[in-house]
Amino acid sequence: MGVLRAMRARPVDVVADPNDPLGDLLRRAGRGDQSAFAQFYDALSPLVYGVVLQVVRDPSQAEEVAQEVFVELWRLAARFDGTKGNAKTWAATLAHRRAIDRVRSEQASRVRHDRDANQTIREERDVVAAQVESSFDQVRVRRALLQLSEMQREAVELAYFGGHTYREVAVLLNVAEGTVKSRIRDGMIRLRDELGGES
Amino acid sequence: MTDIDVHHLAAAYALDALDDRERTAFEAHYGSCEVCRTDVLEFRHTLTQVADSLAASTPASLKASVMAEVATTRQLSPLLAPVVTLDERRRARSLMSLAAAAAAVVMIIVGVAAFRGGDGPDTFASDLARVMEQPDSKVLSLDSQGGAEGTFRVAWSSSLGEAVLMGENLPATPADKAYELWLITPDSSTAMYVLDPAKDGSVHHTLKATADPSAWAITVEPAAGSATATGDIIFVADV
Repeated sequence: MGVLRAMRARPVDVVADPNDPLGDLLRRAGRGDQSAFAQFYDALSPLVYGVVLQVVRDPSQAEEVAQEVFVELWRLAARFDGTKGNAKTWAATLAHRRAIDRVRSEQASRVRHDRDANQTIREERDVVAAQVESSFDQVRVRRALLQLSEMQREAVELAYFGGHTYREVAVLLNVAEGTVKSRIRDGMIRLRDELGGES
Repeated sequence: MTDIDVHHLAAAYALDALDDRERTAFEAHYGSCEVCRTDVLEFRHTLTQVADSLAASTPASLKASVMAEVATTRQLSPLLAPVVTLDERRRARSLMSLAAAAAAVVMIIVGVAAFRGGDGPDTFASDLARVMEQPDSKVLSLDSQGGAEGTFRVAWSSSLGEAVLMGENLPATPADKAYELWLITPDSSTAMYVLDPAKDGSVHHTLKATADPSAWAITVEPAAGSATATGDIIFVADV
């Protein structure tokens, strides 16, 4: 037989990326290097913990979830793929996802809070406002969020900070699901234009 | 849902604001949609900057807990990267129906868990389960050519970009030879993986498979791996 005609070789793309030093730490961690992982932890733990705390709210639960996130990053380190975003984005994405998993499973196993939707929204805004106040980056992000229309920002914040699905956001705001979907999409496009979406 | 509806979910997906059903539907779609992949990547990068602004001081106990658990946690093996392209697609038929092949896969998970123990098979079984959970996952049994002994089955999900390969009862190759797996696509590119059967003639690998395969094939090549297929095809399955 021998019908396979093999022609050109494609280079393996696993090389050090000078633009993503955290990715290099993660690749070293993927080979079992715990000290590289400790450095990776030091660089990203404030972000991971901060995201989880924002969504979960309870500090002791946030600590548990942040630990889960880092152990998962350690387990998956060898599978880090720099073409799908840099290491920081991977960590931020996983942190948010695991925080959401936690609040949704809590929600499923527990009676919902009695607080009315408006109260919830006000509280969530206050937390955001309180946290975004000091550093340059924080100011930049806050300013970018302010470029969104009030309705877009509300929808994006309830989803990202509040951990609600867009359907839940629709109920909270008492508007149609399709409307929330559009606000979220338009808001994210606006935010991407303000902050940039390229790594 | 129409395609347009699915496209519009990229922002909500990046925000983790989809329920499980929609998330699954979107993940099945965006693996093959360049527009949505780019959107998700860019939105995630944007949100990383928002995440940065949320940075908070961590509890002092967290690092010690993380590093203690890390020290006793096994890491997953890397997904093997495609390294070669081929120019021709190999045509063949699969003998088994999808359902029969899927049943065989379940048998193999049980067998692996029962007889091999340890971390490796657990990892493989969870890899396989993850692939099989995808709505677009497929399973094929490769046809033996020219009386080659053993069996190969492959399960993959293009949306997930992963494939799991299972070989059984494979005769050992000579020391200077190795089995190689080829992923063949209609646009002529093919990926290559070197396989290293265990003593009992079994192979369990999780592979990166981002291309959409039109066929899978196995050849025997020099042990270090070959960038081009030099041996005859001994197993093949058309998708």
